[in-house]
Amino acid sequence: MKRAVGLHVNGDTYDVLISPNETLLDVLREKLGLMGTKKGCDLGACGACTVLVDGEAHLSCLMLAVDAVGKKIVTIEGLSKGGELHPLQEAFIQKGALQCGFCTPGMILTAKAALDEEASPTEATIKRKIAGNLCRCTGYKKIVEAVSSVAASTRKEG
Amino acid sequence: MQKELSVVGARLPMLDAGDKVKGTAQFTDDLVLPGMLHGRILRSPHPHAKILHVDTSKAEKLAGVKGVLTGWDIPDRKYGIVPMAKDEYALARHKVRHVGDAVAAVCAFDPETAEEALGLIRVEYEVLPAVFDPLEAIKEGAPRIHDDVPNNISKSIRKEFGDGEKAFEDCDEVFEDTFYSQAVNHAPLEPHVALAQFDPLRGEMVIWSSTQIPFFLRRNLSSTILIPESKIRVIKPKVGGGFGGKIDMFSKDFCACWFARALGRPVKFVYEREEVFIATRQRHPMYVKVKTGMKKDGTIHAQRFWAHADGGAYNSTAPLMITLSCYFLMVPYRIPNLVYEGYHIYTNKPVGGAMRGHGIPQARFAVERQLDMIAVRMGIDPVELRLKNSIHAGEDHPGGFIINTCGFAESVEKAADAIGWKEKRGKLPYGRGVGLGGASFPSGVSNMSHLASGAVIQLGQDGAVTVLTGAADIGQGAETVIAQIVAEELGVPLDDVRVTAADTGITPLDPGTFGSGVTVRAGNAARLAAIALRKKLFDFIAQKLEANPEDLTAKNRKIFVKGSPGQGLSLQEAIKEYRYADLPMPIIGRGAWMAPAQEPTTLLKEAGNFAPNYSFMTQAAEVEVDTRTGKVKVLKMVTAHDCGTPINPLLVEGQLEGSIVGGMGQALYENVIVENGQVMNPSFLDYGFPTAMEMPDMDGIQIVTDDPLGPFGAKESGEGTQLAPAPAIVNAIYDAIGIDFNELPVTPARILQALDEKRRSGKSDN
Amino acid sequence: MRLPKFEYVEPRDLKEASAILNKEDGARIFAGGTDLLVNMKHRVETPALLVNLKKIPDLNFIQVNGGEVRIGALTPLKKIYNHPFIADKLPGLASAASAVGSYHHQTMGTIGGNVCQQNRCKFFNQSLQWRSSRDLCLKAGGETCHVVKNKRSCYSTYCGDTAPALLVMEARAVIESQGGSKEIALESLFSGDGKRPLSMQKGEILTQIIIPKDAVEGFSVYTKIANRESIDFPIVGASLWASPERSDFRVAYTAVDRKPLRAKKAEEALKGSKIDQQLLEKAEGLVLEEAKPVNTSVYPSAYKRKLIKTLFAAMINQVMGRSEL
Repeated sequence: MKRAVGLHVNGDTYDVLISPNETLLDVLREKLGLMGTKKGCDLGACGACTVLVDGEAHLSCLMLAVDAVGKKIVTIEGLSKGGELHPLQEAFIQKGALQCGFCTPGMILTAKAALDEEASPTEATIKRKIAGNLCRCTGYKKIVEAVSSVAASTRKEG
Repeated sequence: MQKELSVVGARLPMLDAGDKVKGTAQFTDDLVLPGMLHGRILRSPHPHAKILHVDTSKAEKLAGVKGVLTGWDIPDRKYGIVPMAKDEYALARHKVRHVGDAVAAVCAFDPETAEEALGLIRVEYEVLPAVFDPLEAIKEGAPRIHDDVPNNISKSIRKEFGDGEKAFEDCDEVFEDTFYSQAVNHAPLEPHVALAQFDPLRGEMVIWSSTQIPFFLRRNLSSTILIPESKIRVIKPKVGGGFGGKIDMFSKDFCACWFARALGRPVKFVYEREEVFIATRQRHPMYVKVKTGMKKDGTIHAQRFWAHADGGAYNSTAPLMITLSCYFLMVPYRIPNLVYEGYHIYTNKPVGGAMRGHGIPQARFAVERQLDMIAVRMGIDPVELRLKNSIHAGEDHPGGFIINTCGFAESVEKAADAIGWKEKRGKLPYGRGVGLGGASFPSGVSNMSHLASGAVIQLGQDGAVTVLTGAADIGQGAETVIAQIVAEELGVPLDDVRVTAADTGITPLDPGTFGSGVTVRAGNAARLAAIALRKKLFDFIAQKLEANPEDLTAKNRKIFVKGSPGQGLSLQEAIKEYRYADLPMPIIGRGAWMAPAQEPTTLLKEAGNFAPNYSFMTQAAEVEVDTRTGKVKVLKMVTAHDCGTPINPLLVEGQLEGSIVGGMGQALYENVIVENGQVMNPSFLDYGFPTAMEMPDMDGIQIVTDDPLGPFGAKESGEGTQLAPAPAIVNAIYDAIGIDFNELPVTPARILQALDEKRRSGKSDN
Repeated sequence: MRLPKFEYVEPRDLKEASAILNKEDGARIFAGGTDLLVNMKHRVETPALLVNLKKIPDLNFIQVNGGEVRIGALTPLKKIYNHPFIADKLPGLASAASAVGSYHHQTMGTIGGNVCQQNRCKFFNQSLQWRSSRDLCLKAGGETCHVVKNKRSCYSTYCGDTAPALLVMEARAVIESQGGSKEIALESLFSGDGKRPLSMQKGEILTQIIIPKDAVEGFSVYTKIANRESIDFPIVGASLWASPERSDFRVAYTAVDRKPLRAKKAEEALKGSKIDQQLLEKAEGLVLEEAKPVNTSVYPSAYKRKLIKTLFAAMINQVMGRSEL
């Protein structure tokens, strides 16, 4: 049975009518029009659909939208503030850490969750945490460099 | 060589990098149109069967279903990327030839209903005997997959160069070995998608498709669903990776258009990941036998090559694939005498197509592996062997290639140095080893039809530069490279250049993204267009400045007399003067480029210069083999690469690094496993291409040559780099544990098995 | 791939949850979802009702009491390996929890869900469309096992990472139902029937895992061999708990059989004896008497058998602080 719920996404509350069998991914894309979250495999094995749920990296293709009620969702569209890019976004641009860009939103959000958890992770930790985000274009090197560069700058500030 | 360049040669982020990090870059599935419907394809569960009857009545009655199509509802027209090899239907008629062959299509008001409707279509099949191995498929009595193709050999070539077979008589030693390369899926992160909309008033179809080849798609749509080309507009939005897997058209393209016209509403088809694995394309599995005749001093004198490619159920790029595997045997080594025999064979399996390297990686794996085996047998260092036989610029190529620039020998030396060859080869502890492999690739294809690229550039009164190019950026950064070339020629910063690309309704003709030809072909076209535009402006301004147009130059938004920056005016002023002189605005430049070739030919028939220029590279690997688990860790990978003069070194590095991990996947991890015609691992989980955890240390060395035909000296960098990682890694495994692996992928299970066999045969490990 | 239709409830407490599970046919417990939702998309599981336990308070906790560790079933895997006591004193469990899937799965997935995950098979973990090429397999409700042509048994393989680590610590499970609460050996959760791998009854809910305090007195490891270092299920996973002083060894495997497998014969052989090469080889042989992997994945069972031996020796050597054999 469909139910009317409020979803907190990127600081806004959306009132939507959803069925229990709708994934958060499909609701974000099809009902909220937030197309930055990508569907790469729909089976939780590529990370392209990563969103932040209460600050943590979640696979939105394996999350029921009804289960997201009451939680704070952040998608790639909610990452930059007031037109200013998040340092990770800036680093991905400058380091050339993207090619086709399809894995990029999920990759950046996973990196954000990782850095929020641990501000100055080692390169090994960065690799381990982004390993669930597949990229077929870059070979990952520049992605790890980009995340490391933000981690390092955080370290300096801290 | 005058080269004071500002934009070309700079490490610049892609033009659309901002959109991509913000999630605002629009891929086909991100487009939504009012009233849009959703389609799905029903696929064959059988590898080979007659379709006796399709009952769509129940599906049609499901609430929300708007239409159901079968092969009999659409014209009896075959399609194919290579005109001479069309053999595929948008929806199967009479027969299915592989598990996943498209049988019917449904269209519904939402994706869930479309998926449900698939389950309501009843298809009656008569299952036919099937064949899954190309060597079985060519035997007498094997099931015939296409009625008009006896022996299932759909394309074959036999070519002789030099003295051919006779040359073996002059050899001191002859070696013969066999090899096998597996099926590899492109696995782009974005699945294949199409969205079509039909305007009944104008009779026009617009289709947005995740494609590498908008113009080929238009042509095939036209001939298949019978709409004039002029009434079809193909638009390529952002493409989430291609690697060759989107060099083709698929059922989704035809069915989206058909439904859009029939139903008068926009229709979108999005493939599931499983469909990408079973029903798009893959790298051809290939059996290869190589006979190599050597002179005592280590000179390769003759080669005989047999290739049996497993094409799967349809041709796709078959003729091009075997041609490439043949001609590129004669680079990067000097092969004075060659006999090549290649077959593209139908089997009841997923369809082979173009994939990064396209027919060459399989041949390269065989040759680079065999060279290492020969080196051991003859007691020659593998690096020396490669240097001795390296081809050089200006040398004759038996197949007719014209090699103006070649950094191959240098790439061998530099890659060997960077991996520590002298200190490491044969000297590392048991389980560790180094190895290398070389390769060469064309920058595009010149001797085929449909090969010219055009560009139109306009300079507006506001100083904005708009480039129209047919080139299809699939994430590699083609639009950025083209914009850099244009910005350089017009003396404006990259920010001033806007690119509108890959829209058949607006942009000039371009073959698309394949054969690694975009930078050279579309880059040259854009460069000529920029030069033409500049000439119009310079001719006019020269009068004002009382200077010779040839003496003018443009830089930093200024036009001035070379060497006297004071003697000139800003671009903005120049445009104003031009406009006030009542000259037509916008100022337009047009360019077109095709590789110089005597006659458009197909190499299937005769030899010739395949490409405007050729890249050369050597890859070197250091590996560690865990002899208890069989797992191989690639510790380091070096690529020394002659891609001419890079337009954008940042993007070139990205190509090298991506190829290394892709090549490593092919060497160690990836394999489309088929049992009885069914793909056993059609998912990202089970297919298992490398993650960030598998990434080796990477070192890229650019070997700069200045190619006369490449724009600003550039050559390709997108595909050649994925040719040699696999043999380099497998050669390093030999160095580590003394075992030759001649089949890909080298899985941990195979390594343990080989170690056991070696132990049993009594040879010691160390 | 859309999810099939189902109803969904969020009970407020365990009693309510258990009552619903008892009453409704086709009701299934829903926790992290990373295993169940994939199976539902594939239509190999089609529960009519999902009972989300995540809104029930007090199921997400880690308690340490004088060496005994209690972990709520809804505790995310990430929280477990990040827990200082577990990371320090129960390295086998920490490393097993951090070996599950990817960072995302460790964030979303719970220990209860990981332990109770569905068995796997290359003929089962496939889409509806894929499976239409053959008759339904035993596990999916059909009559044929495509792996072993045998109509009676399903050989699907248990592939959870944390179970072997818990088994070697002789972990216990708290099961709640309407009838009350009971504590059982975690090992007895696993039926050994590939078709129905868990022995829990209708209405029963795994709520806690208890690691007895004796576990911290030994040393534990978990070793996983998988195709890739992230995302993948194990080709073979193995855990060892050992107290060399007491000459006590416990070994368990995953991805080798229909349930996580304690190698009890091998354990017996090692007990109280001096570990030498000869004994190790004998014990390895005994492991293979108990673990009989079949070809349920694309990794050949012959390779699994080799890994079973290899990991056994590697873990014993690691624990004994000896160099490799």
